[in-house]
Amino acid sequence: MVTTRRNISADSLIGQGLQVSGLPTATLDTLAARFCGAGLFLMVLDPSGTVIYHDSTANLFFTKFLLPMVRSTGNLRAQFIEAASHVTASSSISIWNFLPGSIVATFPHVEKRQLGGIVLLAAKSEGFTLDEDILREAGHLGLDATWLGQQADLLPDFNEIELGNAGQMFAAMARDQARIGVFEQEINSLSMQLANSYEELTLIYQVSGGMKVNRGASDFFRQACMDVRDVIDVRSMGFALCGEGPSKLDPALFGDIEVPPKQLQKLTDQLMNVLRDRKSTLLITNLSKDARFAWFAEYANQMIAVPLQRQDQVLGCLFGLDKVDDEFDSVDSKLLGSIANESAIYLENAMLFEDVRSLMMGVLHSLTSAVDAKDTYTCGHSERVALLSRRLARELGLPEAQIERIYMAGILHDVGKIGVPEAVLHKTGKLTNEEFDQMKKHPQIGARILADIKQVEDLIPGVLYHHERFDGKGYPTGLSGENIPLMGRIICIADCFDAMTSNRTYRRALPLEVAMIELRRCAGTQFDPKLADLFLKVDPEEFRTLLREHQARNPRTPTVPEAIEPKK
Amino acid sequence: MSVETMTEDSLDSAPDEIQKTILVADDETHIRHVVSLKLRNAGYIVLTASDGQEALDIAISQLPDLLITDYHMPELSGLELCQRLKQDPSTAGIPAIMLTARGYNLEPADTASSGIRCMLSKPFSPRQLLATVNEVLRGIAA
Repeated sequence: MVTTRRNISADSLIGQGLQVSGLPTATLDTLAARFCGAGLFLMVLDPSGTVIYHDSTANLFFTKFLLPMVRSTGNLRAQFIEAASHVTASSSISIWNFLPGSIVATFPHVEKRQLGGIVLLAAKSEGFTLDEDILREAGHLGLDATWLGQQADLLPDFNEIELGNAGQMFAAMARDQARIGVFEQEINSLSMQLANSYEELTLIYQVSGGMKVNRGASDFFRQACMDVRDVIDVRSMGFALCGEGPSKLDPALFGDIEVPPKQLQKLTDQLMNVLRDRKSTLLITNLSKDARFAWFAEYANQMIAVPLQRQDQVLGCLFGLDKVDDEFDSVDSKLLGSIANESAIYLENAMLFEDVRSLMMGVLHSLTSAVDAKDTYTCGHSERVALLSRRLARELGLPEAQIERIYMAGILHDVGKIGVPEAVLHKTGKLTNEEFDQMKKHPQIGARILADIKQVEDLIPGVLYHHERFDGKGYPTGLSGENIPLMGRIICIADCFDAMTSNRTYRRALPLEVAMIELRRCAGTQFDPKLADLFLKVDPEEFRTLLREHQARNPRTPTVPEAIEPKK
Repeated sequence: MSVETMTEDSLDSAPDEIQKTILVADDETHIRHVVSLKLRNAGYIVLTASDGQEALDIAISQLPDLLITDYHMPELSGLELCQRLKQDPSTAGIPAIMLTARGYNLEPADTASSGIRCMLSKPFSPRQLLATVNEVLRGIAA
């Protein structure tokens, strides 16, 4: 058997082309079909010399004659391998013409710098005749020589140069196919990442939509937990806030897993301790194997927790327990991280909001205290009027935000008394007309004081009109009926009711029930009859409790009148 | 398609054993890829078109079970595409899900004159899209 071998340099082609890992069967089928049309036959050997792929659609000369010959001739395959292992470095095609009637190009398939296999491209050799070698091999294989000759006649002849060129073309195509495969994988992987980013974006959009500072923190975090549960299949999602003011909340858990409050508190206390030092996401995939949290394994298997941080301070955490049918992964961790960042921003804003709010409340209370200090007899009056106004506003069914504004207006309604001389405020006898005129100026003075504070502009009607009467005989404007702003009408009732039920310079406090009778009597003249009705519907006992609680907080204020003893 | 992604989406897999075909029309490549990947992983056969005219041609020749289309597309807008499909008896029954920019709303008359079953605004949640697809196809099966 004549054996010649020739190396054709094809560095640029094979070196880069076949080094790309993986030539999937589908790719080989595509390539094999293309080369089959040109009369070429594709086989692939693994590094041990086993034929792992061949073009099963090829001409029968190849599949019935050449393939079994390669399969049965161990030392030939060993030669291919041997040759290939040498040419790995030089990356070249080897041409072999030692098989009877055939010419074979081989080149190594290098995967991750290792020889992954040998690619064989075979053709009928130039000047093919049914010679001795062929007849002997056909005899071994039990093939009819005439039939074999007919099959071979269907194939074109190849010489070494033509096969070498075809081999180079094959290598180039294989390289292209492999690169296409890699691109497809990359596109899929990028699309998957993009899909996850979309999920994240949608979630963040949803969560930031709920980031209104005047919304309660517990509301906000409950919603955030629900939103997260929509996106990742977490069995339970919870939060804990351990700061101060709006950043202090009892831990809460939402979802399928039931944890008793005591255990939940213990878990979050422990989590906070860990996160305060760690300042980054904590992921525990097997709680029972974690020394710190093994006790919690009776409730959950996995836990992920992210700190809520404001500057360097850890204010709280969001945590997830158990993923449905899965484990927490880096995508979940990234997503929770984003939500934690958003939530921390919310929390910071809520704290700033609370700061500003309490500053403003403090300033307003100071203003009222200034009035109370001047007019000690009415001490606590402003606060009580505010409480009573709020109660009436609630009975009226106003929105919560408006109720709070009415409370504030109640606090401030007499602030204008700062501008009334003490002699007039403290006078025990009846006021002269001039003195009464001075007294009557306090709503306008109050309105002027508040006019300079933009944030309380909306309270001015409550201050300015709380001495208007429903029949139009009040002051300062003499407005009547529903032309008097609602805030003014509400505070008017609260103001008079408190005045009647408190000790004054000129009389002792009236019992609540007496004050209520008086209120009913003046409904429609002094007071808005509908509002008076509503006020009278409230159980007097409730007012008593309200006032008693106020007194308990402010020991200097007058005592609450007791209920009238039933006459015997 | 990796084995991992198969398991991730297997929960939301297609409602039917017979594979349904979905046509995704969007001129934005990344949207086509994200949507196709999500749907293929869930077991659907996905066809794609990068403009309204191409989508119309594919819809007529392939008769998909569902159309997911962007609103703003070259050649033929998503709405025009849906209206054209509605006018042709062979494609009139194909339901559509429309993707739009956030804040954009269709007029009731537009939905009436087309097979649009629902709208999702971009950026949408791919999970939610898949859930919607399953729901729409289940609705038709029922």
